[in-house]
Amino acid sequence: MRLQLSPLSQSLAAKVILSTVLLSLGVVWLTGSALYSQLSDGIKEVSLETSLSDARSIFYNARYQFLLVDGQSSEIIKAGVDEIIATSISVGIIESSRELILIKIFSREEIESKVLKPDYSYSSNSLLSSAIPKELRDEISDSAVLVHQYAPLTYNDGDVIEALFVGQRVNIPGSGQYEMYLVFSLANQGATLDLVQNSLLLTGIVLLLLIGLITYLVVRQVVRPVRDAARVASLFTQGDFTQRLLVKSSDEIATLGSAFNEMAASIEGQIGRLENLSKVQQRFVSDVSHELRTPLTTLRMASDVIYAQRDEFDPVIARSAELLTAQIDRFEKLLQELLEVSRFDAEVAVLEPTDFELTALVRRCIADLGVNVEAADSQITFDAPHYPVHIRADFRRVERIMRNLISNALDHSDGKPIEIECVETANEVAVSVRDHGEGMEAASLTRVFDRFWRADPSRARTRGGTGLGLSIALEDARLHNGELDAWGALGDGANFVLTLPRIAGNQIVARPLPVNPHRRNV
Amino acid sequence: MTLVMVVDDDQDLAEMLGIVLTGAGIDVDLVSRGDEVMDVFRNNPPDLVLLDVMLPGLDGVEVCRLIRAESMVPIVMLSAKGDTQDIVAGLEAGADDYMVKPFKHPTELIARIRTRLRRTNADQKGLLTIGDLVIDATAHEVKRGSKAISLTRLEFDLLVALAKEPGRVFTRDSLLSEVWGYRHSTDTRLVNVHVQRLRSKVEHDPESPKIVTTVRGVGYKAGVTEES
Repeated sequence: MRLQLSPLSQSLAAKVILSTVLLSLGVVWLTGSALYSQLSDGIKEVSLETSLSDARSIFYNARYQFLLVDGQSSEIIKAGVDEIIATSISVGIIESSRELILIKIFSREEIESKVLKPDYSYSSNSLLSSAIPKELRDEISDSAVLVHQYAPLTYNDGDVIEALFVGQRVNIPGSGQYEMYLVFSLANQGATLDLVQNSLLLTGIVLLLLIGLITYLVVRQVVRPVRDAARVASLFTQGDFTQRLLVKSSDEIATLGSAFNEMAASIEGQIGRLENLSKVQQRFVSDVSHELRTPLTTLRMASDVIYAQRDEFDPVIARSAELLTAQIDRFEKLLQELLEVSRFDAEVAVLEPTDFELTALVRRCIADLGVNVEAADSQITFDAPHYPVHIRADFRRVERIMRNLISNALDHSDGKPIEIECVETANEVAVSVRDHGEGMEAASLTRVFDRFWRADPSRARTRGGTGLGLSIALEDARLHNGELDAWGALGDGANFVLTLPRIAGNQIVARPLPVNPHRRNV
Repeated sequence: MTLVMVVDDDQDLAEMLGIVLTGAGIDVDLVSRGDEVMDVFRNNPPDLVLLDVMLPGLDGVEVCRLIRAESMVPIVMLSAKGDTQDIVAGLEAGADDYMVKPFKHPTELIARIRTRLRRTNADQKGLLTIGDLVIDATAHEVKRGSKAISLTRLEFDLLVALAKEPGRVFTRDSLLSEVWGYRHSTDTRLVNVHVQRLRSKVEHDPESPKIVTTVRGVGYKAGVTEES
């Protein structure tokens, strides 16, 4: 069984492309981040410098204006303040908007004396003083220098924008100290940074796609020959030995290709030689068969003519005629079985399945071997379903298997009972042949199907078996996709179980009869 | 006296066959080459031909075809190879039966020959009908209307066997024993090939037979006789 593999583990190309893209993603991410942080730092710095110098000039201008109106009438001062406010909030180049907040710092004397000087506090867009970060106000109250801070700016309607707060104390004549704040919107800067970020992202994605594509193209150059090689190799495995790889260049892949081709040529040559050898042998066996059969037929007829008249001969010649006939029988059977074995070896044995009824076949085999299974004192008992067991198999082969198993059991039963049983399932049929003879050792079980093998070489053959019967029976069973199993124990007899698929060629999925007869009812 | 032509290139086997057949009261004509068969056959027509497959001059299957072209004489093929294609080729060329060398017993060969010879004098007398065919067993004739159909003796016997018992389903085994005289051979190819040959001669459409119908999984039976 082949394991279920993810597509990734099945394709080298996918693996290489994926890892290349993942690694490139890391690299692009790192470079992109570094680039972005450098760019944004630079942009922020430039914008800060611009804003600060802007602010400086506004504050300077304000101080200068206020100095000019020092000592003038409050109307003139008011006009001066308004002018400052107007020039301050006119938008510069890099901001989208700019706010101004002017907060009067009430001096202690002023509060204590309760004589209030004019208050020129102002805020554009009615911003509240709370919009200004507290730290900045603390800082501004401490020193007269220019201070700045980045912070979000909350408008009264709830809008929040990123902003740069720049503040300084100014003195408005006839009124006192003021905290003057300029708030620069960073919306434009943010837009610039977004643009930079988006461009970087887009570049990164395009770069990754390109890397993926390039990797695919490169990998394909390597993988395609490998795939070709794999395809050709698998065709080769299926038996098409003429398959070769196309070698076009002289790179490493091409070296692999020509090495493969050399191997293929060598294998094709060897197989060709072996096939030829096998053909020669098959033809030889076939010729031998023909050449042996014709004289054997003559021999057979001649011996039969002699045998038929043995009563007229003197006893020695009569007995010789009997032996001659018997040995010709044996010779003929041996020749037949040898030919069958050679057919299996040459893999030319063909299954000829027909539909037939199994129990009738078994009964006939028993009868043919001279046992009357119906008789009360019969040595063989046959236990089968009372209804017909129809199977699709090669009648001749199944008959031969049963004949071999039963005559084998008769040979080794020492006259003790033999039990034959037939059972069926939906997918398979099984027939067991159990004898209670001398049995065999466990070590013999592996060899019992070997050709010309005998459990006990010193034991005489009673029925003149050829020593090929069980071996042929096993081959016959396997030709059906069935199995033939043997069990035996010394002193406990032996058991052979034939399991066949109901329809020859199907797979058997179960063994309806266990080979060990003692495990029957477990 | 009955005459059997033995065609075999093996001199010794041919002589032995001669001894055995003569012993059984059958005259024998020995021929050793395939290309000599037709001359001898025409000069002295035998009652049965025993024909080896492997012959010098002309192949046994070819000889069989030549004999069949001019005679309905029973032909029994002898084959040294039990291979299917040889046997089927012989049967399709018109042989009635075949035997694989070496024969189980020479007596079996003689029994087989006698069966083939006896069958030619069919025990059935009178008229039989099967489908739209009329069989005149006495005259050994099969007619569709006024048109006579030429059948080999074995094909005739096969048709008569089916027609005699119109309701009965014959298994291949029972046909083998009744028509060929086999005791329990199970070579169903013999039946299948001959049923096909018979159908090709008597059926209107051999693809959908009406005279010799197949009973799936069992065998064959006679088609329904048309009331006229």
